[in-house]
Formats: sequence, structure tokens, C-alpha cells
Amino acid sequence: MTAPADNKPLLDVRGLTIEIDTRRGPAVIVDGINLTVGKGETLGVVGESGCGKSLTMLSLVRLLPNKIRVKGGTAEFAGRDLLKMSKSELRQVRGGKIGFVFQDPMTSLNPVMRIGDQLCEPLIYHRKMNKADARVRAIELLRLVGIPGPEQRIEAYPHELSGGMRQRVMIAIGLACDPELLIADEPTTALDVTIQAQIVDLVKDLRKKLNMSVVWITHDLALIAGLVDRVAVLYAGTVVEDAPVNELFARPTHPYTRGLLASIPKLSDERASRLSSIGGTPPEPGRRPKGCPFAPRCGLAESVCHERVPVLEPVAGSGGHRVACFVAQRQMMEAA
Amino acid sequence: MTMTPVNLSSTVADDEPPVSLWRDAWHRLLRNKLAVAGLAVVILLAFVAVFGPWLTPYDFLTQDLSARNQAPSLAHLFGTDDLGRDVFSRVVYGTRTAFVVAIVVTAIAVVIGVTLGAMAGFFGGMFDRVVMWFTDMTMSVPNLLLVVVINASLKTPITAWMEARYQATLNPFYRETIWVDFLLVFGSMALISWPPYARLVRAQVLSIRGRPYVTAARALGLTNRLILMRYIVPNAIGPLIVSVSAGLGTAMVLESAFSFLGVGVNPPTPSWGNMISDGLRVWQHYPHLLAAPAAVLGLATVAFSFLGDGLNDALNPRGSK
Amino acid sequence: MAAEPLIKVENLVKHFVVRLGAFGERGATVYAVDDVSFDIFAGETLSLVGESGCGKSTTGFTLLNLQKATSGKVIFQGENIVSLDEKRMRPYRRELQIVFQDPYSTLNPRMTIGEVVGEPILFHKLATKAELPECVSRLLADVGLPARFAQRYPHELSGGQRQRVAIARALACQPKFIVCDEAISALDVSVQAQIINLLLDLQEKYGLTYLFIAHDLAVVRHISTRVGVMYLGRMAELATREQLFSNPLHPYTRALLSAVPEADPELEKTRQRQILTGDVPSPLAPPAGCRFHTRCPIAMDKCKAVVPEWREVVPGHHVSCHAVGMETAG
Ligand SMILES: Nc1ncnc2c1ncn2[C@@H]1O[C@H](COP(=O)(O)OP(=O)(O)OP(=O)(O)O)[C@@H](O)[C@H]1O
Ligand SMILES: Nc1ncnc2c1ncn2[C@@H]1O[C@H](COP(=O)(O)OP(=O)(O)OP(=O)(O)O)[C@@H](O)[C@H]1O
Ligand code: SF4
Ligand SMILES: [Mg+2]
Ligand SMILES: [Mg+2]
Repeated sequence: MTAPADNKPLLDVRGLTIEIDTRRGPAVIVDGINLTVGKGETLGVVGESGCGKSLTMLSLVRLLPNKIRVKGGTAEFAGRDLLKMSKSELRQVRGGKIGFVFQDPMTSLNPVMRIGDQLCEPLIYHRKMNKADARVRAIELLRLVGIPGPEQRIEAYPHELSGGMRQRVMIAIGLACDPELLIADEPTTALDVTIQAQIVDLVKDLRKKLNMSVVWITHDLALIAGLVDRVAVLYAGTVVEDAPVNELFARPTHPYTRGLLASIPKLSDERASRLSSIGGTPPEPGRRPKGCPFAPRCGLAESVCHERVPVLEPVAGSGGHRVACFVAQRQMMEAA
Repeated sequence: MTMTPVNLSSTVADDEPPVSLWRDAWHRLLRNKLAVAGLAVVILLAFVAVFGPWLTPYDFLTQDLSARNQAPSLAHLFGTDDLGRDVFSRVVYGTRTAFVVAIVVTAIAVVIGVTLGAMAGFFGGMFDRVVMWFTDMTMSVPNLLLVVVINASLKTPITAWMEARYQATLNPFYRETIWVDFLLVFGSMALISWPPYARLVRAQVLSIRGRPYVTAARALGLTNRLILMRYIVPNAIGPLIVSVSAGLGTAMVLESAFSFLGVGVNPPTPSWGNMISDGLRVWQHYPHLLAAPAAVLGLATVAFSFLGDGLNDALNPRGSK
Repeated sequence: MAAEPLIKVENLVKHFVVRLGAFGERGATVYAVDDVSFDIFAGETLSLVGESGCGKSTTGFTLLNLQKATSGKVIFQGENIVSLDEKRMRPYRRELQIVFQDPYSTLNPRMTIGEVVGEPILFHKLATKAELPECVSRLLADVGLPARFAQRYPHELSGGQRQRVAIARALACQPKFIVCDEAISALDVSVQAQIINLLLDLQEKYGLTYLFIAHDLAVVRHISTRVGVMYLGRMAELATREQLFSNPLHPYTRALLSAVPEADPELEKTRQRQILTGDVPSPLAPPAGCRFHTRCPIAMDKCKAVVPEWREVVPGHHVSCHAVGMETAG
């Protein structure tokens, strides 16, 4: 293990740009994303459905689908650029030092293989365990993610499990090798609140024990409120806001973030009252507006927003809070 | 906070027609060098099979007893055989034989195999058990043995019957024993070739039948026929194409093996198989008589199998590097 | 509430037989759904919540006869639909739709989104060929997808976009009843709000009925008329939204409600969560008596032996717990 210098982040993504081939030529899907995750830090990633969260994370482990490729940028993990690593080095990292929880459990699990075997695979490959030890560890992992009767369930095929169980199997696979970095792509969408809490506690626990770093993609803002240290808000393939979690909830700054927080149904809401949502749809790859990608839907947009692209800049009067919005920047400046 | 909702429901006019999955697969295939090489060889051989006989300098039957067993030269690229026939011309004509045998045999085998396999997989039950029993039976008897038995028991009576017809009608058609050859070779080869297709298709159908998207189709209330045609068959066809490609090569090898045993296409119709078996008898003296047909056969099977592997990768729509 | 229910579920049971051991040499039974009865009224949203793996999806599947029920009845329009074979079931299918929990695997990889959404429309003759593109783009727009997506294949969409395609496909059938199995779980809150608004609008306009399976209790509270709580294959509590959230009776419901996270880091730190202890039992070997007794904070001896009866303690408020009667009586 090559320990990075103490102040250096474990994962440092700079200017990551992802392109897709369309009939009209290449189009940008992810546009120059910067993300850093320190050792032992947990980063929450939220954003509109289809904004490029999954593709960003898949690009880090070089699992992008056909026709989609990284156009530029670097992604240093423990000082080594993941995007330039040799295949064999990458294999060591994937599933070993970086644990990955995919968004679609049913399609990511092999339908004709028992889940126990799928859990044992990384243990045997990365941890060089023998079959018997791997099996013991696999049962333990299933118990940790709260699957009842793990001794029997280890022999189940994916279709014999409930949606939430499959998702927990994915989490178990992601955690199997005690990774330095866990990338979890909407890992709890099918889990009820009690199990969710259990998984969150488990991840917190491992974070403390192994000093594990976590990137947690989700749209469940309530869940990440108690889990993450920092939140990056993505919109149309760019980071539009990046702040410590308390700060983000206390002072949401970007109009998109504010719209997002306003859309959460509250437990105290009346039934059938209409929920507020952000009107319009996000731009598609290849049809991005000239200025701020959010401008066409933004209630605050001014002429400058349609002309120039705002960059992520520190918000006046707060530490570590950055936002990419002309108007919000000015408002915060005036407020401060 | 106010959000003016702007309806961006975009114009329907579209400048981005769908890239069909087949097209996509074709592009992926073209990126695979081995598969492209295989495809090129297959196309070349197919061209030779169709137009070859018009392109060769000699007729494949013309004997020239003054030029027997000649080594390769400019006049005879692959030399001549023991009757002074041009080996190059015979190999070229043999390509036609090989393709005809491979295509006809595979076509029969695929039709039988796919029909039985798909029905067995979809309907299950008794029908499935009977079909599977037949495939198991056919696959457990040694192939060559089966073919030898069929040939030995059927060939003599059929030839005798044709000879009798000729005597009675004097119709020259009955003199063409080549049809008997083809019939028997095709028939018996197809008989031993269909079970793998049936098994493959049945397994495919069985696994696809349980996929969630088939359940979803049922939930929409679609009929069995629609589900079979739009959901099961299109998703099962990829592996079938792959195995057909490899199967064509296998059929060519099989034909050669039969010829070698004397149950294949009979001389004087040239086939790579009977040329190889003739060549084997004299290979110490005239190695070119063995080398030429054997090399072409080898080339053809390797080409088909590269192509099959390439198709396998290309037809997987989500495949990533 | 209308007296005659749209769908009547009576003693529905679904057991799976699974093979265990390296060669599948041992058989075992999964008690996925065990003796569940409830009514679904026309025009209501009945939500189903409960721990992961407690049998919510299975209830949805057997209800629509997509999996054969082991026993029990589901009465729809006077017919016990779970006893019908595939062919006799088909006429009911258009009216009874489902949005599956795992959208990606339920989309045919070889059909474009336009074909996926258009197929039921054409098949059920809900529009002509000429009107089809218009219909498809309207449905896609309803779920917040641009019309251009009709040209794409499922693997070219993001997770949330696929889920919206699955919703559009169910709506395309113009059904009466939809099982929404975690239908909005992969959507960000803004799109989620949009879809919830859409579902409520449709309900208002066409009197649609939903069986809404979800884990997000804030959403459940927002959208439901009544809420059912399942635990390990059995119904634990069923009540109107107000009753359930203001006066939860079953100990499991109480624990569940206390676990809801808040979208506020300050509140999150101070929130009192009631943590359930004890082993989570497996549906392969459910405990005797009340299935919750291994984790129940107020379990009594009786709970270990006797299955609590499913009773209506207050009009419209059903529960199965021995302690409840005693509490309210005493
Ligand atoms: N193979 C593909 N071909 C074309 N477009 C694609 C492909 N895969 C993804 N996209 C598009 O790229 C965008 C980003 O997709 P991505 O999966 O990263 O979204 P996401 O942020 O994870 O969304 P969600 O929250 O819905 O999962 C989407 O608009 C999607 O439609
Ligand atoms: N085809 C099957 N074969 C065997 N067991 C099954 C099958 N389908 C479901 N089960 C089992 O039935 C139980 C209930 O599953 P179900 O999918 O209904 O749960 P759920 O309540 O929907 O959970 P989740 O919230 O995680 O989706 C689980 O224990 C599951 O393992
Ligand atoms: S019946 Fe007993 S064990 Fe079950 S919930 Fe009630 S008190 Fe708890
Ligand atoms: Mg995603
Ligand atoms: Mg489920």
C-alpha cells in the first residue's frame, strides 16, 4: 500500500470529461468534473436523474459502456492515475482497493451463479483466501448487511432474493475486500428505513475501523444528512455546488440545490397537496446551452447566465462551500 | 423561492435516427481484426465456390495422362494428380462442394434443431422430454459409426434402384449417381448435426423464458406468439448465429472425414475430403496432393471459427472492453 | 369509503420451494407471503411498507397472477383471478398493471424505448398506428423524458430514466389498477415529486387505484389513503394514513416510524431511534407464534406460541398483535 502524503486526498479527480458518440458526432456528457475525497472522508453525490453520476463513477474504474469514453482529465487514486493505469494494475484496484456497488443489482449479478460464489470470487482473487475461508467470510458479510439466515441464503440464486436483498449482496461484494475507497451508486434505493440505518451504521463503522473513504451517490437527501461529510451537487455533468453537509442544508445556494431541497416531501405534508418540483428537463448531451446548463430552467437566470458558463467558486462568508452560479454568488456576497 | 417552469419537451423532429443493434454489432465486428480476417477468407472462398469453375484454367475432370503427378508449376499451380488432372482446378471445384455440403447440411440441421429446440423449451412437458431423448440418443451414438451404417444400408439399394430405372426409361438423370451421394451425405450429416442446435436453442429459450422482461410482457397481456417472436427469439438468436458460423466449418471437416472413410462425396466429383484421402495414400511421394486440399480446408475452418468468435463478442450489446 | 372493494385479497399464501446445498440436494421452503387478507378500494392508494424481503413484491406478483399463488383468493370483478390460467387471465391484464422494482431487467434489450412504450398501445388497440408517435411522446413527456428518447435502447439510459420508461409503459395500457413496486425509488427528489404529482393527477382524473410499495415513509405518507405494514410474510398492521402515522399500534410499526431519517443534519444527530435488537429471522424458518417476537420489545410468553389474530381494533384499523388488545382494553 502506497500511503499518500497526509494532506493529499485519496481520490483526486480533475477536469474529468466524458464523451459519447452520437450520430451527429461526439457529445459531452460529463463536463470537466473536479472531485476530491480525503482519506476517511465520505462524499455524497446528488443530482438529477441522468446527470452523469453513474458514468462518472464507472469511468474511474474504467467500466464505461461502448461508445462512451473519457476525453480528458485525470483521476488520481493514492497518487496513481486510474485513467492511465495498465490493465493488470487496474485489476488489482478494481474490487480490491476500490469497492464498487453498482446501481442495477439484477443486471450486475450473474443470474446463473449462486450469490455465495459471486461473493467468494473477489476474496479468492484479491485476498488469496482458500475456498473454505472465503465462504466463512462471505457468510459473515451477508450477516453484516442484515440478510437473515446467511448460511442458507449463500446458496440462493439472484432471482430467489428480494430486490433489497440483491442490493445488499451488491454492498457485501463492494465491502468484501476491506477497500480503501468504496464507491456506492444508489446502494439503498430498495431498502426500508431500518435496514438503511443498519447499512449506514455499518459503513460508518468500517470508515472508522479501516479509515475507509466513501463516495455515496444517492438522491435520498435525508439519508446522507447523517452519513456524509461533504456533498457535491451535480447538474448536467458539472458540479454546481460543493459544500460540507451541514452548510449545504443550512445555506443551499445554487438554485438547483434549492429546488431539490424544496421537492422533498415532509412527513408533515398534507396528502394530495402537489409537491413542488423543478420544471423542465435537463439538457441532453450534445444540446447543452451556451451558458449555465441550468439557465433554461432557472428562475433567477439573468442575461449573463445564458452567455457564459459559471465556474465553481468559494461562497463568500463560509469555509469550503463552493458554488457555480453568477446570481447566487452575488446574493451571498451581498448577504455577507 | 420561485421557479418558472419552462417546458423543454423538445421538438419531435429528430436528427438522430436510431442505431439498430445489428448495425452496432456490425461496427463492433469490424473492429475485431481476427474476425475481419475470418470474414475476408470466408467471402473469398464463397466467391471461389460460386464463380471458381469459370475462372480455372482447366476442367476438373480433364485427364492428361502425359502429365501425371506433376509438382506445382506455373502451368499447374498445385501440380497434377495421378490421372493428370489439375489439382488447383479440383481444389477450386471442391470449394463449391464444400460450401454446398456445409450450407445445405447446416440449413437442414438448423431448421430441425431450432424448431424442435424452441418448442421443447417453450412448451416443456412431454414434448420436451421426447425431443431431449432423441437428441441424447443421437449424440450418444458415435457420429461416424451412424453415418457408415446409414450409408452402407441405403447406398446399394438406392443405386440399384436408379440403375433399374435407367434401364427401364433410359433417362440420363438416373445415371447421375452424384445425386445419391449428395442425398446420402446431406441426409446423414444433417441427422447427426441437428442435436447441438436443438440443445442450444432449448437452453436459450429456457433461460430467456424466465427473464424479468418476459414476465413484464406477460403482465402487458401479450399473447404467447408475440412473446415468442418479439421477446424470446430476438434475444436467443445471437448465440445461434455464432454456433451456425462455427457449424459451417465443422460441416466441412465432417464431410472430409466421411470422404476419408469412403462414405462422402465420391470421386470423380472433387471434394476436399476425397482429395485428402487420395492424397494421404501417396503423400510420401507427392506431398502436394495432400497439402493443397488440407491447407485450404484448414484455412476455411479457422476462418469460420474466428468469424464465430468475433460474432460472439459483437452480438453482446452491452459488452464493454 | 365505497363499500365494494375493487380487489379483495383473501388468505393469500405464496411459498417458494428452493434447493439448497452444493448440488441442490436439500429442499427448503421460503414462507414469502403467509395468509394475507386485505381489500383495495377503487380510487385509493394503498401503500405497503415493511422490511426488505418481507414479501411486498411477492404480494404484488401473486396478486396479479404473475406468480402462481400457493393458496388463497384474489377477487377482481367477481372472478378469482389467481385461479385463472395464462390464457383466461389475459383479458384482465390491461387493466391490472405493474411497475417492476428492477426496471432494467424488465425491459427487452432489443426493443427501443418507443417500441417498449408503443407496444401495449398498439396491442390493446388504444390508438392507431398513425397516432402512435404522438401517444408515445406524450407519455414520455408525462414522465419527464424528451420525445427523442423513443429512439434509444434501454442500455443507453440512466437508472432513473429506465424507471420512468417502466412507469410510462404501465400507463400506456390505460389501466384501472397499478402495482407500483418501488416505482420511484431511483429518482432524484425533484423528478420524484413530478412523478408523484402525475400519479395523483391521474388518480383524480381517471379514478386510478394504486398498490404503492415503497420504503420512503415521507412519500408514503404523502401519497397514501391507507397503509399496510408487512412483517416477514404477514400483515402486521393496516390502517388509514392518519391512524397509522398518528397512532401506530404494532410494535414493529413504531420501530419503523422511529427510524425515518430527516433531511437535516442537526436533527439527524439528535434523533432518537428505536433500535430493534435480536436476530432477524429468516423466511426459510420463520418463528412460531408472532413472527415479530424475536425482536419485539414487549413480547410476552403467549407471543412465542400463538399466532396473533388479524383483527379490527378501531373501525378501519387492523392489527395483529396480542399486546394491542390488552393495552387498549386496560
Ligand atoms: N450507453 C449510452 N448511450 C447513450 N447515452 C447514454 C448511455 N449511457 C448513459 N447515457 C446517458 O448519459 C447520461 C448520464 O447517465 P448516468 O447513468 O451517468 O446518469 P445518472 O446520473 O447515474 O442518473 P440516475 O440517477 O438516473 O441513475 C444520461 O442522460 C443517459 O441518458
Ligand atoms: N423466485 C423465488 N424463489 C425463491 N424465493 C423467493 C423468490 N422470490 C422471492 N423469494 C423470497 O421471498 C421473500 C420475499 O421476497 P419479496 O421480493 O417479496 O420481498 P420484498 O418485500 O419485495 O423485499 P424488498 O423490499 O427487498 O424488495 C424473500 O425472502 C425472497 O428471498
Ligand atoms: S404479538 Fe407479541 S411479539 Fe408480536 S408484536 Fe405483539 S407483543 Fe410483540
Ligand atoms: Mg445512475
Ligand atoms: Mg421487492
